[in-house]
Amino acid sequence: MRSAWRWLLVITLSASGSQANANDWNMPVGVTDVSADIFGLHMTIFWICVVIGLVVFGAMFYSLFRYRHSKGAKAANFHEHTSVEVLWTAIPVLILVGMAVPATATLKNMYDSSDAELDVMITGQQWRWRYEYLGEDVAFTSNMSTPRTQVSGAETRGEHYLLEVDEPLVLPINRKVRFLMTSDDVIHSWWVPDLAVKQDTIPGFINENWVTINEPGIYRGQCTELCGINHGFMPVVVHAMEEDEFDGWLAERKEAAAEEAMGVDREWAMEELVARGQEIYQSICSSCHQAEGQGSPPAFPALANNEQLISDVDWHLNKVINGVSGAAMPAFRSTLNPVEIAAVVTYTRNAWGNDTGDVVQPSEVAELIAQ
Amino acid sequence: MWSVVKSVLAALLGVQSNQKRQEDFSSGKPAAYIVTGIVITLLFVLMLIVLATFAAR
Ligand code: HEC
Ligand SMILES: [Cu+2]
Repeated sequence: MRSAWRWLLVITLSASGSQANANDWNMPVGVTDVSADIFGLHMTIFWICVVIGLVVFGAMFYSLFRYRHSKGAKAANFHEHTSVEVLWTAIPVLILVGMAVPATATLKNMYDSSDAELDVMITGQQWRWRYEYLGEDVAFTSNMSTPRTQVSGAETRGEHYLLEVDEPLVLPINRKVRFLMTSDDVIHSWWVPDLAVKQDTIPGFINENWVTINEPGIYRGQCTELCGINHGFMPVVVHAMEEDEFDGWLAERKEAAAEEAMGVDREWAMEELVARGQEIYQSICSSCHQAEGQGSPPAFPALANNEQLISDVDWHLNKVINGVSGAAMPAFRSTLNPVEIAAVVTYTRNAWGNDTGDVVQPSEVAELIAQ
Repeated sequence: MWSVVKSVLAALLGVQSNQKRQEDFSSGKPAAYIVTGIVITLLFVLMLIVLATFAAR
């Protein structure tokens, strides 16, 4: 009974259209014109359904009550009434066509990704997203930053539990941004409710989508296609900025990328590589090989005290650069740059008791990748 | 011929008078109704395609 009252309250409140609270149970209005259109369509169709429901059930319950047996009502036993039949066929057709026209117009607009000012390639990977600003030489992966201790319950959950990342996708407002979406492994789906974008990313295919964001802000979403054990741990975070702020950010990232590219040629110190490698290991490798390199055999081999790894640098590099085809070990040749690969390999070779003392220079890795 | 077309159109809409149904079942060959049905369905699909093409302009 209590819950029935709750629902009644929900329905009356949504009828009064209070926007601020509406989002608690309704879909969001979002921050793009398309998302507002979709919300409008949803509400229009919802109210059409409400009216139909009221008319149909109203007529039914009225008739049940008014012409009840105890009042001596007699059933009319006629068969066939062509004009009424035509009427109740024609009315739904008109309603359906009436709903299809605005819906089709919105769909058409949603698929029109022409004239974009910025192209971003979005690649799903088990279990992170990779963003590449095409033609700008800026690319990075975006990993969930919620600590595992919160997942296991050892620590209390933060405000954005499972919906926070180390590096969000940064986008400008008021500019049309086209997304080219694909996947490196299995099907994922990139979903941000406030942007009204929910698009499957499929290996071997490139799907297109687009947004023009109207308001700066941080918008959160998740992978919404079951993609393996860490499916719940690959959130999407979009940081929408004012245009000039975005231009500044992009220029900064471009510079950093150029600097990093130069970093390939110089000699790196072991401490530098180890520090860098530890970050990369924790954000990318530890989901499979575990925080202390202990792995979880037989699915994910241990990297700590791994005899072959300790004795054979080339074998180790090859595994990380080229992956293991047919197994879950991804190839990192295109998703990590030479500095990052050198760093994570150097770290692995010197952590958890693998005290080999080996230092792998980014230049060696660059050479291997070029081959 | 015209009466067959009318019956097929009525069937598409899902509404037919009892009297007409009796007539249809007492005269005419089933093949005529089947062929007319297929042709009209194809025409209907064609019409949708044309409509969609124009709408997509
Ligand atoms: C999606 C899970 C996954 C991720 C992420 C991952 N690996 Fe692996 N890794 C595997 C699996 C599975 C194997 C075993 C492959 C096989 O069957 O030989 C493996 C094997 C290896 C091996 C060879 C070990 C051996 O004994 O065969 C090395 C070295 C390695 N991974 C390093 C890394 C590094 C470094 C990273 C991060 C940059 C990483 N892996 C990220 C799943 C993963
Ligand atoms: Cu996924």
